[in-house]
Amino acid sequence: MNPGLSRFLPSRSGDIPGGLQVPDRAFDRRTFLALAGAGAGALTLAACAGPSTAVGGSTPSATSTTDWAGVKPAKQVSFWSNHPGGSQAVEKALVEKFNASQSAITVTLVTAGASYEEVAQRFQTALTGGGLPGLVMFSDVWWFRYYLNQSIIPLTSLLKAVKVDTADFRPSFYSDYRYAGEQWAVPYARSTPLFYYNKKHWATAGLPDRAPKTWNEFAEWAPKLMGAGLGTQKAFQYPAVAGYAGWTFQNNAWGWGGAYSHDWDLTIDAQPVVSALDWIRKGVQEDKWAGVTANDQAADIASGAVSATVSSTGSLVGILKSATFDVGVGFLPGGPAATEPVCPSGGAGIGIPKAITPEEQLAAATFLKFLTLPENTVAFSAATGYIPTRTSADTSALTAKAPQISTAIDQIAVVRTQDRARVFLPGGDKAIADGFGRVVTQNDDPQTVLTAVKAQLQDIYARDVKPKLV
Amino acid sequence: MFLAFAGPNLVLIALFTYRPLLTNVYYSTLDWNLGSRTATPVGFGNYLRWFRDPTSLDVLRVTAVFTVATVGATLLLGLLLATALNRRIRGRTAARAVVFAPYVLSGVGVGLVWLFIFDPTYGALSALLRLWGTTGPDWYLDRSWALVMVIVVYVWKNLGYAAVVYLAALQSVPQDVLDAAALDGAGALRRFTRITVPLLSPTTFFLMVTTMLSSLQSFDLIQVMTKGGPLDGTTTLMYQVYVEAFVNGRAGYSAAVATILFVVLLLATLLQMRFLERKVHYA
Amino acid sequence: MSTVATRPAAVPRTTRRRRETVRGTVSTALGGYLPVILATTVVVLPLAWMVIASIKQPHELVRLPIQWLPSKPYAGNYLEAARTVSFGRLFLNSALVTAFGAGVKVVLAVITAYALVFIRFPAKRLVFVLILVALMVPPHIALVPNYTLIAQLGGRNTLWGIVLPGLGTAFGTFLLRQQFLSLPRSIVEAAELDGASHLRRLVAIVAPVSAPAIATVALISIVFEWNEYLWPLIIVDDPNAMTLPVGLTLLQNSESGSAAWGVLMAGTVVVILPVLAIFAVLQRWIVAGLTQGAVTG
Repeated sequence: MNPGLSRFLPSRSGDIPGGLQVPDRAFDRRTFLALAGAGAGALTLAACAGPSTAVGGSTPSATSTTDWAGVKPAKQVSFWSNHPGGSQAVEKALVEKFNASQSAITVTLVTAGASYEEVAQRFQTALTGGGLPGLVMFSDVWWFRYYLNQSIIPLTSLLKAVKVDTADFRPSFYSDYRYAGEQWAVPYARSTPLFYYNKKHWATAGLPDRAPKTWNEFAEWAPKLMGAGLGTQKAFQYPAVAGYAGWTFQNNAWGWGGAYSHDWDLTIDAQPVVSALDWIRKGVQEDKWAGVTANDQAADIASGAVSATVSSTGSLVGILKSATFDVGVGFLPGGPAATEPVCPSGGAGIGIPKAITPEEQLAAATFLKFLTLPENTVAFSAATGYIPTRTSADTSALTAKAPQISTAIDQIAVVRTQDRARVFLPGGDKAIADGFGRVVTQNDDPQTVLTAVKAQLQDIYARDVKPKLV
Repeated sequence: MFLAFAGPNLVLIALFTYRPLLTNVYYSTLDWNLGSRTATPVGFGNYLRWFRDPTSLDVLRVTAVFTVATVGATLLLGLLLATALNRRIRGRTAARAVVFAPYVLSGVGVGLVWLFIFDPTYGALSALLRLWGTTGPDWYLDRSWALVMVIVVYVWKNLGYAAVVYLAALQSVPQDVLDAAALDGAGALRRFTRITVPLLSPTTFFLMVTTMLSSLQSFDLIQVMTKGGPLDGTTTLMYQVYVEAFVNGRAGYSAAVATILFVVLLLATLLQMRFLERKVHYA
Repeated sequence: MSTVATRPAAVPRTTRRRRETVRGTVSTALGGYLPVILATTVVVLPLAWMVIASIKQPHELVRLPIQWLPSKPYAGNYLEAARTVSFGRLFLNSALVTAFGAGVKVVLAVITAYALVFIRFPAKRLVFVLILVALMVPPHIALVPNYTLIAQLGGRNTLWGIVLPGLGTAFGTFLLRQQFLSLPRSIVEAAELDGASHLRRLVAIVAPVSAPAIATVALISIVFEWNEYLWPLIIVDDPNAMTLPVGLTLLQNSESGSAAWGVLMAGTVVVILPVLAIFAVLQRWIVAGLTQGAVTG
């Protein structure tokens, strides 16, 4: 560059006070060639590391046939969490309580990321490079990949060996992790969507103090809320497309009599789902009483910007903390075809990695038993708003503190297991949510979009799932 | 002697940059799912798939818009700001420090702050716009506006770097040349475009290369603010590398996208060298 | 366009001063003050907004219509952040990692750049190009391979495990090479005739006159090490070895929404402040230091 400039002002460069010629030929043609050569070199060489490419090259360390009676638990084991719902303090307290309660096993609590994606990222790195935990936490849309990749173990015999009262888990939560006749995880930070409403707005609009029973009932209420001079932007706010949209839209799909899928049969482009999506589109694009949040629908209702929304039970504590009005909650409304069960389950579970020693797996299971004891699930719920996963848990302390949580607990009776299209297909949730966004925020045709989404899901199934199913 | 001095650094770069690069190229030839301990060799299959996938074109478009806009705006505004900071004005030392400050902040922190400012419901920006009587666009729902938003924040964060670099270069523009031109009757604008700007071309080149490299590799802001959305409206090549590996679980495919990104970076740098070499000679 | 390493602006500035007295103040106001005030405002406001948000109560953060200032300063967010994250310990870890990592990086950059410019070696150009190409490797792809290697070496949960992969520095070498190229050969040659060793020439002559550029590399390294997130997250699982950015994830949680905003802002302020302080100290040198890298680049 400097030679170039010297040419531009050849007689001047010598006049610059203190100026000098710089012998910089960093970017001449030879450099070009060398650069290009280095790039080509990188492309032709291959390094050997990472996954095995041998057929059937997996080395099982423990299977469902392991005789746990002959195994002695390891002394040290770690628990990977992203502390969902701000649970770092309560998880730490539970781990300390466990460590103090016995001397055989010491558990370490590890912050493995800020989100389930980050935990997954770390878990994958550890699968390749070592340093796996005893227990790992994963969300509803993540655990099945670990099953597919054979990186977690089936738990039935292990849970029996450490005498976990599995019958006491809430059945709808527990059965979420059943596949191919085995149990692959246990429920932990479990939630469902909940209908939240602003009681002050409800009263001003002259509505009964309850959640609507069906979405069509709410469609009658919405104009009243919009016309009551509340100063709101919308009567109802849908979750963010990149957030809960793929989760909560199941409620509408089911209410209209459809589903994303039945087992591996994708039905997301069928008429009921299309009608459900079109109904949402109308509310947003034509009648304009509903909106889609930019970031966090829980913040939008807490600020009074909207009168109602659907959000996770895990948002309850946060909404109560920042709202300056009475917050009402209710079951998710039904649709024209069904009113129950139309509420999807959700949240996170815990599993045990395969590529660790049976001793570590046994120690992990021992802690897992402690972590899911009824009183400990209550302690966890009190700090977060998640639903206690055990039926025998005494929830009176919880409901005394925040009466709204009893609605969340009651709703479990009508919870429905999520569709495989969302939770079993890697990236399926994003494909569905993006389709939802295309119709609701861009006013695209629901049938066209859902047909495209189905094709996308089909591709994921054929490429990433079907070849791995045994 | 050369190796005694440069050796340690070269060994480290070979071990922790080039070795992973080669490993990545190897991974890109596998059909390998995130977390799986087995994989199938597929040769160029992942690359072919990427080139056939219609969404790749959209990703390239977003990447191109993001890169050209951020590099262009950073350089243009940086030059204007530097010209202003080069004048004898009060408090310019403090002002230089202030405009450089965002560059030293973490992308995550910056993203969080701006996320809060752009929020259309309770964000400060929409509140200000409401004072003017408008509501502002749907920053998080509209693909184009979301891209604009991320570009604005990226420029905000990196503007100070360009400004300070330009400022330093401006200080070495020989004043006597400008004076002579002024005596010949050249106006201020003419002096700026005919003398200052050409004299700055090596600096412009340095900035173009470095800001382009960091722009093409930017990740934090997009992750914190939009997660590549809405509807992939802010999904750049770099972000696609992340999404394919850690959202869709396709580690082999993601490695192929990463290699494509590396080649794009290489080509873009080479093109710039060509382009600017000529520019510098004949400007 | 190039200039001498020391006091690059000295001469033009005196010339300009003379001209300023001739010119009217109107153009200074329009071309100088206006854009500078505009730019500083645009930079300062978001940062101020962050500080203000950190002292608001949760319901004041999501108020409609917007509440610009807190009704009274609220320390709760900082207390909550301090309760969740043991800032003292993390601060110490981050400071150690940053000091050690940035320190070694600067030394390596200096000696590598010196070798590239002043020591004879046949494949020097190729070495330089390889360093340049290293700048183009996307950082994410290094995660798994580097983790595997460091884990095999036993570097998990250790200070050196966090620092080692980042020590090789391409950008710092690039920047300093450009700076060293701009030095007058004569000053080094004089020392060579006196029989001074390469190390002595570097320490006594080259490094001192390049102090501003070295300060720039130091700042960029410090900023990088201090803000680094993904790698320390993955290589460390012992809470006692966590760094500050990793600790901040404890404040971010998936489902608490707006209630966590103030706490997050408080945490961000705490992380940002030390870097701003270091920057304030180094900035006078940096402005001059970047002059070199840029002008010769």
